[in-house]
Amino acid sequence: MAEHQELVTLIPWTFIAQILNLFIQMLLIKKFLFKPIREVLEKRKAKADSVISEATKTKEEAEAMKAEYEENIAAARDKASDILANAQKTATLKSEEIIKEASEAAISMKAKAERDIEQEKRKAVNEIKDEIGNMAMEIAGKVIEREISEEDHTKLIDEFIEKVGEV
Amino acid sequence: MNIEINGPKVFYTFPFDIPILGRLQISETLVVSWIVMLIITLLCIWLTHNLKVENISKRQAFAEMLVETADNFVIGNMGEKFKNLVPFVAALFATSLVSNLISLVGLRSPTADLNTEAAWAVVVFIMITTQKIKTGGFGGYLKGFTQPIPVMTPFNVLSELATPISLACRHFGNILSGIVINGLIYAALAVASSALLGLIPGAVGLFLSHVPILDVGIPAVLSVYFDWFTGVMQAYIFCMLTTMYIANAAEE
Repeated sequence: MAEHQELVTLIPWTFIAQILNLFIQMLLIKKFLFKPIREVLEKRKAKADSVISEATKTKEEAEAMKAEYEENIAAARDKASDILANAQKTATLKSEEIIKEASEAAISMKAKAERDIEQEKRKAVNEIKDEIGNMAMEIAGKVIEREISEEDHTKLIDEFIEKVGEV
Repeated sequence: MNIEINGPKVFYTFPFDIPILGRLQISETLVVSWIVMLIITLLCIWLTHNLKVENISKRQAFAEMLVETADNFVIGNMGEKFKNLVPFVAALFATSLVSNLISLVGLRSPTADLNTEAAWAVVVFIMITTQKIKTGGFGGYLKGFTQPIPVMTPFNVLSELATPISLACRHFGNILSGIVINGLIYAALAVASSALLGLIPGAVGLFLSHVPILDVGIPAVLSVYFDWFTGVMQAYIFCMLTTMYIANAAEE
């Protein structure tokens, strides 16, 4: 039969050994349980954080892109409507100008034609006058049978024309 | 029938005296303590091998749960600043628990030796005192004994000393009483079965009365309380009180 220590007693060496055992146990638990588990938890946390931050970043980028696209589209739409408005305005101006030019041209052409007609008329009248004057002179010369001076000649013609005009 | 409740066996005594501290003994307590430490350490190594960040195994989930439970227990009771005490409390709990429960496989619990609990209680007491001195300074620590009135000083000193003693004796008493009661139950059931089976007449009864048939099964039911419940409870209480005392000591 082995020797027994007393049931309730304090033995210094056992006491000290148990204190040491407790601390050794603490270090063992720390080394073999807490350290690796904490490391892996830390790693997982870091990974989750990086995934989240990456997702946030991606989302921000996507939103920025979306905003940019929307801005671009709006700008394009504005530009398009500007162009359209400009084109309409230009077209209106141009058409008005063309119409104006055309009417001006028409007016000027009409005026020119009227002028020409007037000129032709006057020319015709003058020719007739000359013809009549010559005829009158010939007749008169034949009648009077004498040469009249140039001065008298002209005077006579004018008198005649005035009379004719009065007629 | 005689029942003998013995202290732990002494396997080897070194044949020389060390002054003051006496002879170095390798007792059952120490040997089983080492077995307990080995079990806990191997369990930790088994739990934490092949750890993964993603897609973890149940084993790893359990290990992580243990760490988180320990963290929550210590931080919940003591606050964030005592985070570095987590391994100590965890070691205290694990050692106490495994020591208490190792009696189920027939080994003698190291916690059924007052030396073990006294060692733990003294460590805790030193931590409490250190914490008190750290909080209030050495003068504040001494002054604390005269609160609320100087007449109370002896009682305060006594209650201070009662802390580790009660801590150690509570745990030791519970485990030892479990052993004593188990011994009593085994002996009583042996007597009862011998009396019961002795009623059978003739040689059969004579033979069967030597077989303690009632010792099969019934003590296992009782050990649910005396070993399992008390073992878990005392480990929990010891750690709870440790954290509470240290946290109280840290309060201004």
